Amino acid sequence: MAEIVKLQSVSHLRKTMDDYFVRLKDATETGSKKIAWCTSVGPAELLYSMGFEVYFPENHGAMLGAAKVADNYIPIAVAQGYSPDICSYLTSDVGAFLANETPLQKSGLASVPKPDVLVYNTNQCGEVQDWFEYYAKHFDVPIFGIITPLKINELTETIISGVAKQIEELVPELEKISGIKFDLDKFKETTRLSHDGCVLWRQVLETAQNLPAPINFFDSAIHMGPIVVMRGTKYAVDYYKILLAELEDRIKNNIAAVPTEQIRIYWDGMPLWYKLSSMAKLFSGLDTCVVASTYCNSWVFDDLDPENPFYSAGLAYCKLFIVRSDEEKQKVLEKLMDDFSIDGIIYHDSKTCARNSNNRFGLPVRLQESTNIPYLEINGDLNDSRCFSEEQSIIAIETFIDQLKSRKQ
Amino acid sequence: MYKVGIDLGSSYTKGVLVDSSNQIIDYHLVKTGFDFNRSSKRIIDKFSENFKIDLPIYTCGYGREKLEVESVSNSEIMALAEAVYHLYNKKCSVIDIGGQDTKYIKINEIGKVDKFRMNRKCAAGTGSFLEEIAFRLDVSATEFNSFAEQATETIKINSFCTVFAVSEIVGMIKNGLTMPNIVLGIYNSILDRSFELANIDDSLILTGGIPDYHPIILKLIQKKIPNAVSPEKSQFMAAYGSVLLNTKRVN
Repeated sequence: MAEIVKLQSVSHLRKTMDDYFVRLKDATETGSKKIAWCTSVGPAELLYSMGFEVYFPENHGAMLGAAKVADNYIPIAVAQGYSPDICSYLTSDVGAFLANETPLQKSGLASVPKPDVLVYNTNQCGEVQDWFEYYAKHFDVPIFGIITPLKINELTETIISGVAKQIEELVPELEKISGIKFDLDKFKETTRLSHDGCVLWRQVLETAQNLPAPINFFDSAIHMGPIVVMRGTKYAVDYYKILLAELEDRIKNNIAAVPTEQIRIYWDGMPLWYKLSSMAKLFSGLDTCVVASTYCNSWVFDDLDPENPFYSAGLAYCKLFIVRSDEEKQKVLEKLMDDFSIDGIIYHDSKTCARNSNNRFGLPVRLQESTNIPYLEINGDLNDSRCFSEEQSIIAIETFIDQLKSRKQ
Repeated sequence: MYKVGIDLGSSYTKGVLVDSSNQIIDYHLVKTGFDFNRSSKRIIDKFSENFKIDLPIYTCGYGREKLEVESVSNSEIMALAEAVYHLYNKKCSVIDIGGQDTKYIKINEIGKVDKFRMNRKCAAGTGSFLEEIAFRLDVSATEFNSFAEQATETIKINSFCTVFAVSEIVGMIKNGLTMPNIVLGIYNSILDRSFELANIDDSLILTGGIPDYHPIILKLIQKKIPNAVSPEKSQFMAAYGSVLLNTKRVN
C-alpha cells in the first residue's frame, strides 16, 4: 500500500497551536487580556486589534471530533434538549462543557477560557447564534452578532456595506468591554496580517495544483488551524511561510503527498473529523489524492484591504463560498475543477451541517453536466460518527475510484 | 479447470462455478453469518466435491478480502456491471436490491460504469427491510409474494424507518386493512426508494436477491418500465461478474 508522506512542518504547526493555547491560558489566569469568543469567519481582525485573546468554539468542536470523543458528549447535549439533528460541533461542544471536559486540558487549561464577550457572524453557520447564546446566558456576558445574507447571487454594494456597517457598529460595544480605545492603525495592521496570512494559505492550497500534489485535503484540514484561529496575527503569517516553503521544496524535488497519485479528487463538504487518518490511508491505498476542498478553500479572504478595513471585511466575509447562491458556487467549482485537474468530486452530505453540504439542491448534476466530471455522494457527519456507515462508504469510494481509473484508460 | 466467483454480502454469500468459456455451471448460496472465511469455504468445498477448482477465487462484497485461500477482490458494483453487460451487451440501467444496499448503476455502450448511486445510510428499501417486516409479521417470503398477488389496492407506507414501518403496519392491521393490500404497499415502498436513486431513461435490468425471492417486484416495476427484465438467478450476478472482470477482458 502507498505510504502517506508526512509533512515536516507538523512540529511547527504543533508549536504554533500550543503557543496560541498558552496565550489563552495566560489571559485566563492573569486577566491580562480580555477574552472574546468568535465564530470561525467572524471579525477576528477587529477583536485582535482591540487587544482581545480570541477563542473559537468551532475549532474546539473540530478538536473534539478529531480526538474521537465527540460521540461521548453529543448525548449529553441531546439530554439537555438539543436535537441530534443540529450542528454536531454545537452538541459535542455543549456536551463536553456540561461534562466539564476539554482536550484543552492537555494544553494546561482547566476548562474552555471564560468569555468576556461573544461575537458571531452567521455567514459560515446560522446555528452559531443559538450556540453562542447558550454560553452568553451561562456566563452572563454580552453577545453581539453580525447577520449575513445567504444565497447571495450578485454581491451588491447594499449587501457589502450592510455587513461592513454591522462590523463597525461593534466598536463602541467592544471598547466598553476591553477598556481599550479603538485604534484604526491597529485595525489596519491586523487586517494586513489577515490578508497576508490568507494569501499565504491560498498559495499553500494552490501548490496542490501541481501534478503530483505535495499536500492533500487530510493534511490541509489539520494545517488550516492557524488561519482559523490566528487570522489577523503574525503567528499565522509566520507559520504559513514555513509550510509554503516546505511544499515548494516538495514540488522542486517531486515529492508527492500520495506517491502513487493517479486520481485527483475534489472533496466538498465537511471533513469526517473522526476518520481523517483512516480516510487518508484509504485514498492513498487507491492511488488517489484528494487535492482540493470547499472546506479548506473557505478560509481565503484575500479581498481584505488594510486601507479600507471595514468595507473590505464586509466584502471578504460576504464573498465566502458558503453564503453564495448555487449559481455562484457552480462558477467557483468549475474554476477549481480546471485549476486542480480534478478527475472526480466527492460530496460529503453531512447529516447535521446542511449549510456545508452542497449536494442538496441539484448542484452535483448541474456541475457534472457542465464539466463532465463524475461525482459521488456519501452520507456522514462532521462529528457524529453514528451518522457514518463506514463499510458502505468505503465500498462506494473504492467503486468510484475504479470508475475514474477506467475512464482514464 | 473451473473458476469460482464469490459475493460475500451482508446477509448471504453467493458463489458461482464458471467453466473456461465463462458459462455458469453451478450456484451455491449460504448465510454469511459472522465468519466470511467460513461461509466462502463452505461454497468452495461444495463446488470442489465434483469439480477441480482453479485459484485464485474471485470475490466481491463486504467480506471480499477475508478469505484464507488465494483470492482477488473486486468492487461489487463493477462486478455487477460486468455481468449485466456480458448478458445483455447494451447500454442500460441496473437496479440491484440486496440485503443492506440498493444500488443504481448506469452502464454505457461499451460496458463501462458511467454513474452509480447507493441508498442512503438506512436499510429501508432493501432486503433487510422486507426480512424484518416478514419476521415481525411471521410470514415467509413465498407467502409475502402471494399475498401481494391477491391485492386489490395498494396502501402507502410512509415510514422511512424499518422499525416504525412495522408499527405503522400493525396499526393498519388493527384498523382492518387487509394483508394483501398492506403487503403490496410494502413492495411499492421498496420500489419508491429504489426509484429515488435515479430517473431511469433507458432499459432496466433488475438484479439482487429480492427479484429472485419476490418475483412480484419485477411485475410491479414493469408497470412503470415495461421493458424491465431480471436475469435468472439474479442474486448471483455480482459473483459471476467478479470472475468475468478478471478473465473475460484478459481472454
